[in-house]
Amino acid sequence: MKPHRRKTLGIILFITAGLSLAIGLSLYALSSNIDLFFTPTQIAAGEVQPGQRIRVGGMVKEGSIRHNEQQLQVNFITTDYAHEVDVQYNGILPDLFREGQGIVAEGSVTPEGQFVASRVLAKHDENYMSVEVKAAMDAAERQRVMEQSQAQMQEGFQ
Amino acid sequence: MWLWFSKLGSPRWFYELSGRWLPWLYGAMALLLLVGLTWALLFVPEDYQQGHTIRIMYIHVPVASISLACFPLMAIAGAITLVWKMKLADMVAKCVAPIGLWFTGLALATGAIWGEPIWGTWWAWDARLTSMLIQFFLFVGVIALRSAIESPDAAARACAVLAIVGAINVPIIKYSVEWWNTLHQPASRISMDAMSPNPPEIWVPLLIMISAVYLLFVISLLLRTRNEILVRERRSQWVTDLIARSQS
Repeated sequence: MKPHRRKTLGIILFITAGLSLAIGLSLYALSSNIDLFFTPTQIAAGEVQPGQRIRVGGMVKEGSIRHNEQQLQVNFITTDYAHEVDVQYNGILPDLFREGQGIVAEGSVTPEGQFVASRVLAKHDENYMSVEVKAAMDAAERQRVMEQSQAQMQEGFQ
Repeated sequence: MWLWFSKLGSPRWFYELSGRWLPWLYGAMALLLLVGLTWALLFVPEDYQQGHTIRIMYIHVPVASISLACFPLMAIAGAITLVWKMKLADMVAKCVAPIGLWFTGLALATGAIWGEPIWGTWWAWDARLTSMLIQFFLFVGVIALRSAIESPDAAARACAVLAIVGAINVPIIKYSVEWWNTLHQPASRISMDAMSPNPPEIWVPLLIMISAVYLLFVISLLLRTRNEILVRERRSQWVTDLIARSQS
């Protein structure tokens, strides 16, 4: 390579490396602001002030959904399996909303620790499969659990 | 290798070679697109969560992955322009920008159409969506910059620098779903097992669609670049001969 070309290439690589470093460091410093939501653990740790508008993300806890008979209002618990947040929402839920679903709720925490949401979004996971495959997998899982409990019972008899 | 490299830099050689490739590329793309679209739109089973909405993925994933390939390509072509002053590299850099803009726009649009029924919103300011929007504006910026500078050489250099700097955004888009918590799901892990999440019946048609749309991208880039070659080399002897032959 001719010297002047090597010099140009060197300058380009130097500038790219420098800029990458600068952008990398600023993204690292801003990472908590780039996150779309807080986790229930972060809220439990007191990272959020009451009344501050935030998003909280987690799973809808099994058996925690309570619909109001007269209104659209719904209460449910969102969890990251370490801590929980009690969410109250008055509005239309996305189709994917159900127990065990990942969701993102937008709103604020009251001083009593109740999260009042103005919007609830469903998160989609990275797993795609047909109804049949899902049913077969669920059946296999039930089978496995059943065999396991039978084995445990037999162990108990012996 | 250096000989090959300098040959590749010759617009005439590239024009003749790509002219021989194009019919094959057209045929392969038509075949893959036909098979891929029919399979994805008619025969892929409904998803257990999304139903028919999963079919949007067969457009969204190919256009998004190609838009992520466009920027590095533009940056590499830009670097070659800056270091070796190869004419062809700058032509490719110029021609890939509008294509990249289109694919980025399509990825954003199909994503929004999918997001409305699944997430419950068209748009969220999460890291993946926002970094993709930044890429959209970077492409707009590169195109605007080239038309704003009158001297072709100065425009080529300025666009090359912007392309190299903007390419830093590409790994950010790619890894945004892992580095931060986002509404967008992370990349899926494909499975060889038919009875597991992401089985072959889901990803084989996706692979076909990705290849088809990649060919579409290559063809559009070749056609644009060939046009650019003719325009820039219009005063050269071989282009004059070519036009004379096509008119006789």
